[in-house]
Amino acid sequence: MQLLDIRNLTLELETPDGIVRAVDRVNLSLREGEIRGLVGESGSGKSLIAKAIMGVLHQRWHISADRFSWCGEDLLRLPYQRQREIISRDIAMIYQEPSRSMDPTAPIGEQLAESVPDHLVEGVSWWQRGFFRRKRAINLLHKVGIRDHQSVLNSYPYQLSEGVCQKISIAMAIAKAPKLLIADEPTTALESTTQAQLFRLLASFNQLKGTSILLISHELETVARNTDTLSVLYCGQLVEAGDTAELLKNPRHHYTDALIRSVPEFQPELAFKQQLYALHGSIPTLQHLPIGCRLGPRCPNARKECVKTPQLERQQNHFYSCHFPLQRSADDE
Amino acid sequence: MSDLIEVRDLGKTYRKATGFFNHKEIIALQGVSFRLQAGETLAVVGETGSGKSTLAKLLVGIEQPDQGEIWYAGHQINCNQYRKTNQFIRYIFQDAARSLNPNQKIAEILHAVLRYSTVLSFSQREQKISQTLRLLGLLNEHANYYPHMFSGGQLQRVALARALILDPKVLILDEALTALDPSLRAQIVNLLLELQQNTGIAYLLITNQLRLVRHFADHTLVLHRGQCLDYGPTAQVFASPQHDYSRKLINSAQY
Repeated sequence: MQLLDIRNLTLELETPDGIVRAVDRVNLSLREGEIRGLVGESGSGKSLIAKAIMGVLHQRWHISADRFSWCGEDLLRLPYQRQREIISRDIAMIYQEPSRSMDPTAPIGEQLAESVPDHLVEGVSWWQRGFFRRKRAINLLHKVGIRDHQSVLNSYPYQLSEGVCQKISIAMAIAKAPKLLIADEPTTALESTTQAQLFRLLASFNQLKGTSILLISHELETVARNTDTLSVLYCGQLVEAGDTAELLKNPRHHYTDALIRSVPEFQPELAFKQQLYALHGSIPTLQHLPIGCRLGPRCPNARKECVKTPQLERQQNHFYSCHFPLQRSADDE
Repeated sequence: MSDLIEVRDLGKTYRKATGFFNHKEIIALQGVSFRLQAGETLAVVGETGSGKSTLAKLLVGIEQPDQGEIWYAGHQINCNQYRKTNQFIRYIFQDAARSLNPNQKIAEILHAVLRYSTVLSFSQREQKISQTLRLLGLLNEHANYYPHMFSGGQLQRVALARALILDPKVLILDEALTALDPSLRAQIVNLLLELQQNTGIAYLLITNQLRLVRHFADHTLVLHRGQCLDYGPTAQVFASPQHDYSRKLINSAQY
């Protein structure tokens, strides 16, 4: 079943220099039980999209979309109260830098108990509720793989390591058994051994509970290994989307191609200390975005037509927006 | 003597007061030895708190070692000769944007480095600056920019310029590539590789990204709680790690 279906999401911000369009007509859809990766460089609007889904964007942002449906209901057209209800029931998010997104003045136990939703507590007599919440909190900690719950519950966020904080924020997110879990750069602060643990944890929730996961990251290699489908963003434009394996094998857009070729891991025949493939130039700032295809000035194959924004084209389950897409490799046809 | 840097049995202990008279000793680094030749890259991998950054700080002289010796091209380095050694060993910080003074133009930052460590005159310094900026793919005009006017990748280049302007023999990259976006990272890696080929500079790469280590480093050193677990050619360490911890670390990057 289609869980989330977004068509032409546009996020605009009014600045003294005019309107900045940070996210430009992005499509995103998620089925139940799917793990989708969202890849892009910093400033490409990944976190903005996540925040737009959660409905926590600042009021100054103008959100518009042709369709923004969650389980068949259009979130943008619902009254605010109803919208909050649905989001808080069904969607949970793990923010960047877990230790900073927690309350520094309250011990972990209190914060976790608070995140247990009210409808679970309703059947319990009022004098037992505190105890019940605490029991749930301990349960949650066990679920994310923290065995030593007593010392963790009594400590403050600054006393714990980043990896443990990340696990706790996952525990808070799964407290209400959400249908969709948005993980915004969950691994940037972590070491590689803890990263592996975390991805195993997310994968197990996906398999056991059927939770859909939207995994946001700028590292293609980690996303590629842990997702079913992938969307690639560049400067707020959706560049390519499709099944992860297919997309890695046959990228159609030049940006995706460059991204794949810049990662040594995907290039088995690359010699030791050989130059990596890199696009020239750097990412434009939001105030000076090029018109048309935003990759234009950096694209190795840019031509006159590229000043017009390309339409999203579809080939089976593979979407790409480029006037001159790369050809499929010969052995595939 | 062919070794550019030789480190023998290096150790560092921090003392932390736990009361009026008591103190606790934290061993940050213990018995680490390695050699680094010109034109080579040594990667130091390990989790946080494993002593990676302590090692870098000892090498550049920010901290004084408690035991062991550091030899640079046949001479032993003392911490109080910092002014002399800082020309050969340079350090790049993790976050380029935060390690540059926002109130100074790039030219001022680079002038200060040269004024401190060399005897060049003003015009010679100007010449050196424009030469270094061009080497790193920046323009002469960039000297009059402030740090906030650059993008992330360019800032990293400026940080590199500050390190390379003294023509060092060793460059220490403390997680300098971690925070970069993939396409920028590829650009900087290319730049570093090119420099190494042309000038024979040696790198000490402190990182968490094992994929990059595999591509980039000749030798790898695995640190865990201040101890050196595995040290050897990168291919060998990756193929047959000796300790359980290094095996776990390497498998975690490949699973």
